[in-house]
Amino acid sequence: MKVYSLRVLVVLMSLFIGAGLVGACTQHEDESDEETPSFAEAQKPKAVYGKIQKVNIGATIDADMAHEGKEIFEVKCMACHKYDERYVGPALGKVLERRTPEYVMNMILDTETMIENDDTAKCLMQEYLMRMPNQDVNEKNAREILEHLRDHASKSK
Amino acid sequence: MKRERIWMQFVLSILAIFTIAACSNDGSNKGVGVATDAAQRVYVAPGEKDEFYNFVSGGFSGQLAVYGIPSGRLFRVIPVFSVDPEKGYGFTEETKPMLNTSHGFVPWDDAHHTDLSQTGGVADGKWLFINGNNTPRIARIDLTDFRTKEIIEIPNSAGNHSSPFSTENSEYVVAGTRFTVPIPNADIPISEYAEKFKGALSFVKVDKTTGRMEIAFQLIVPGFDYDLARAGKGPSHDWMFMTCYNTERASTMKEINASQNDKDFILAINWKKCEELAAQGKGTIANVEYAHNVYNDETHTATSTIKKSVRVLTSDDIKEALYYIPTPKSPHGCDVDPTGELIVGGGKLATVIPVMSYSKMLKAIASGKSDKIIDGIRVLPYKDCLAGEVQRPGLGPLHTEFDGKGFAYTSMFVSSEIVKWSLKDFKVVDRIPTYYSIGHLSIPGGNSTKPWGKYVIAYNKMTKDRYLPTGPELTQSAQLYDISGEKMKLLLDFPTIGEPHYAVAMPAALIMKQSRKMYQLMENKHPYVTRKEADTKVVRNGNDVHVYMTSIRSHLSPDNIEGIRVGDKVYWHVTNLEQDWDVPHGFAVIGNNNSELLIMPGETCTLLWEPKKAGVFPFYCTDFCSALHQEMQGYARVSNGGSAPLTWNKK
Repeated sequence: MKVYSLRVLVVLMSLFIGAGLVGACTQHEDESDEETPSFAEAQKPKAVYGKIQKVNIGATIDADMAHEGKEIFEVKCMACHKYDERYVGPALGKVLERRTPEYVMNMILDTETMIENDDTAKCLMQEYLMRMPNQDVNEKNAREILEHLRDHASKSK
Repeated sequence: MKRERIWMQFVLSILAIFTIAACSNDGSNKGVGVATDAAQRVYVAPGEKDEFYNFVSGGFSGQLAVYGIPSGRLFRVIPVFSVDPEKGYGFTEETKPMLNTSHGFVPWDDAHHTDLSQTGGVADGKWLFINGNNTPRIARIDLTDFRTKEIIEIPNSAGNHSSPFSTENSEYVVAGTRFTVPIPNADIPISEYAEKFKGALSFVKVDKTTGRMEIAFQLIVPGFDYDLARAGKGPSHDWMFMTCYNTERASTMKEINASQNDKDFILAINWKKCEELAAQGKGTIANVEYAHNVYNDETHTATSTIKKSVRVLTSDDIKEALYYIPTPKSPHGCDVDPTGELIVGGGKLATVIPVMSYSKMLKAIASGKSDKIIDGIRVLPYKDCLAGEVQRPGLGPLHTEFDGKGFAYTSMFVSSEIVKWSLKDFKVVDRIPTYYSIGHLSIPGGNSTKPWGKYVIAYNKMTKDRYLPTGPELTQSAQLYDISGEKMKLLLDFPTIGEPHYAVAMPAALIMKQSRKMYQLMENKHPYVTRKEADTKVVRNGNDVHVYMTSIRSHLSPDNIEGIRVGDKVYWHVTNLEQDWDVPHGFAVIGNNNSELLIMPGETCTLLWEPKKAGVFPFYCTDFCSALHQEMQGYARVSNGGSAPLTWNKK
């Protein structure tokens, strides 16, 4: 199967070129949390893609939810995502400064729809060349992961 | 190379005559009986799915093959009795115990017959049972993840052929011995065969919920060769019927010496009665040795236990439960119709197909009449048990399946054909050639109370000119026939692995919806599981080095390890962190005298590596997983002696 790797790359690249997206993406826009996330900001207001249309965020952080979310994040996400550095996927420590809660949950729960429709997700796919694996996270767990990311960001300020 | 019994040689000249007779003038016979719309009938368009699963014994491959019907496409080879380096089966530390026996590790067997677990005489889609003939065993395969979950060895047996046929609610699967041996086995002259060799027929209890098998009791019976079996159904639910040949008790040149008697027997066993007697403590506990190997779904690991005793009942203990029904001549197949009333003997050297009646048998038992008594077992009068005989069916009747519409289909080995006959009047209504020398045949549910009588599949012993030649050994093959109409029609030839023996089929809809997609990481109780990348580590314990590794698209962690020494035993415990369907990762190390690992999502597998020289050794993922699969690779450094500590990169 290995012989197909180049072909897969070629196909992926040509898809992006065909979609006229290459020029639309800012290189390395997610590489570091230190960089200013200008691209996503410029897109506002954005359409929401995926099954989660609205996330209700509490005024304060729910500690129990955040605790659950940390456990799940460590098992199912941290093989590819770190908090402060680009790894297999983007750093997620301050992801909520540049992405909406809906975006985060839809990327977890409905990756396919996001990669097909959301301009930011399309760009990230082009940059990382790795479709985020489905880690069998349900909606409750995704919401808990979101709460953990809020919690983590608030504590590292 | 085809391992059907040697007696077949005896009739090869007849076969030659029939083969010539079946050919048209130009020597071609490829078109006989082919449906005009055959291509359309077997075409499963891209992306569409087959209607039936067909589970086909892999014969001397020792494995189980899974095909789709009507397309004949091969989906999977499930390793059962033989090692499979592709899947690591028999090579990983977790699966090595599956192939343990009282003789130690046995890497191969000869698988013959499949049977599905049943409820009310109909396949319930839970498990599949298959026998190992050479080193007597029964295996249980889980139909949710298509893996071998249990193998139980059968003591006092040799040539576990009359197996693993299930009772109507899978209360038991049976294991009758084809080669009789001294019981207990002992260093005695073979010339004492007739007096000292006995048959052992084992009833293996199946737990309703877990499927776990245990040998409930063994019947020690006269030393004939017990060949095939079927359980009763409906009214005959309490009975098991088992053919036997070599009632001559010959130990040499059986092809001649075991074919002397005009009639051999079907042994009728009232297993319910045997069960009662065993429960009352009848019989004795014999000292034996057999392996019982169980794969644990939570630890992803098999364990092998050597068991030391079994309850044996002799014919003296169970006189009221065993009866011989005379059956012409060296009977092979033994098949019970969907109503449970008719028992069809495949008298492979007979000129008729004898059909026994269950109700007549009961009357014959009640009458007290016997032809003779063998070791305390009554031989009932043939005519008193006979429902009828199918006259002039062809040559070499072996096995019979049923369509649920009043017809039986019998495979005719010598005359290479399937014969369809009526269960009402035992008259032949249709016949169609097979290419060539059909052994078993299968109708979906054709051994059950409710057959799906749409197709019959022939499993042939020879293919000769049907496929492109591949040197001296040709492909094995099956053929699909439409039986929905009055006349049978040939639809398709398809190749099979090993030599196909018995096979079972059932509607795909009943199995596909329960198919497992992955193993939940949080439920993984493997002793060496690594659930998160943060927990990866390398631990030395004397000369044993344990690598707690994870894999996810597309990296292995850790991927740089130093401090391994020549002479170490390195155990790679790799956990696949993926939680999605169809994303296995592979793992292999250069020069390893071992197989690869193929790790399913959420699973942990262990590969042993014993490096023999110093150097740097790459390892990598063998199963293409993403655009960055090529990069899924790492290095292990091996040093000569020294005391450098183990180091590894932590992420």
